[in-house]
Amino acid sequence: MQSINPTPAVSITVPPDIHQSIGMLTRQLHDSLNGLGLTDKVKGWAGELPDAKSRLSYIARLTGEAAEKVLNRVDQAKAQHDHIAAETRRIGVLIVKDPVAAVAKGHVMNFLTDVEQSTKQIDQHLTEIMMAQDFHDLTGQVIAKVVNLAANIEEQLLQLLIQTAPADAVVKASAPVAEYQPALAGPVVNPAGNPDVVTGQSEVDDLLASLGF
Amino acid sequence: MANELRFLVVDDFSTMRRIVRNLLKESGYTEADEAEDGVAALQKLRNSNFDFVVSDINMPNMNGFQLLMEIKKDEKLKHIPVLMVTAEARKEDIVLAAQQGAAGYIVKPFTKATLEDKVSLILTKMGLK
Repeated sequence: MQSINPTPAVSITVPPDIHQSIGMLTRQLHDSLNGLGLTDKVKGWAGELPDAKSRLSYIARLTGEAAEKVLNRVDQAKAQHDHIAAETRRIGVLIVKDPVAAVAKGHVMNFLTDVEQSTKQIDQHLTEIMMAQDFHDLTGQVIAKVVNLAANIEEQLLQLLIQTAPADAVVKASAPVAEYQPALAGPVVNPAGNPDVVTGQSEVDDLLASLGF
Repeated sequence: MANELRFLVVDDFSTMRRIVRNLLKESGYTEADEAEDGVAALQKLRNSNFDFVVSDINMPNMNGFQLLMEIKKDEKLKHIPVLMVTAEARKEDIVLAAQQGAAGYIVKPFTKATLEDKVSLILTKMGLK
């Protein structure tokens, strides 16, 4: 059995004062955050970042599902469209060959029924394609929340930078970022196990009915 | 009669306004206008005649709850049914909307059938259908 060599492949020699410098910087950062009352906010970011991650996953999922739905519906609509085109050519040939027989044998009537059914189905596909675009609204709301979080963190970090900068390095700060105002909750990205939210229209209806509305 | 009803669709996302307007049109309600937030909606409601409002909740300037409150405290507008169509799925928001006088509540994403059913139910209740 091959023995495992615990020695790293590349040995890096670190001057001892580097550790000391990192330690001092960490201490300075810790003291600065405490002094500025930002410790709680940093803790808040730590909690919000995983939330931002799940929001981004939600966006990826929703946009993926919408694209899939649209492509499937387009495939089905195109197949029906091709069918109508082929049938039109076929019935055209029959009418040119013998118009009376084409009518008498029911070819024309069957064709008209076929066209009516196909156009109804194509219309349903178009409605579904339209409905699939609702991801724009839902993801837009979620993106706005993530952007707000990023702007909030950026603003706080900028303040930290300005307040801890050496006196001779002070530069005029640009206009502060607009204050973060939490909006309404928006789309629920993780409804599972959350008793405070509904997961579909039937739950909305049940809730309102239970309250007598 | 239902076909002559005038709808106002309120949503800050133009995509959603188009979707709702198209769905209403497919259901036979061809008269529909739109507004991008509560402020614009109130202005339109006060300057023109509408029979039905379909409104989002999360919007800038004036959100759907504020719009609903403004409509319900306005003697000339309070008879207009307001159907909330929103991504807000918290139970407390749904109950709040009902308490403030919303005629119905639909959570996004929704289907064509859901919108059709809710509009039809509200119109029937109001004797407009």
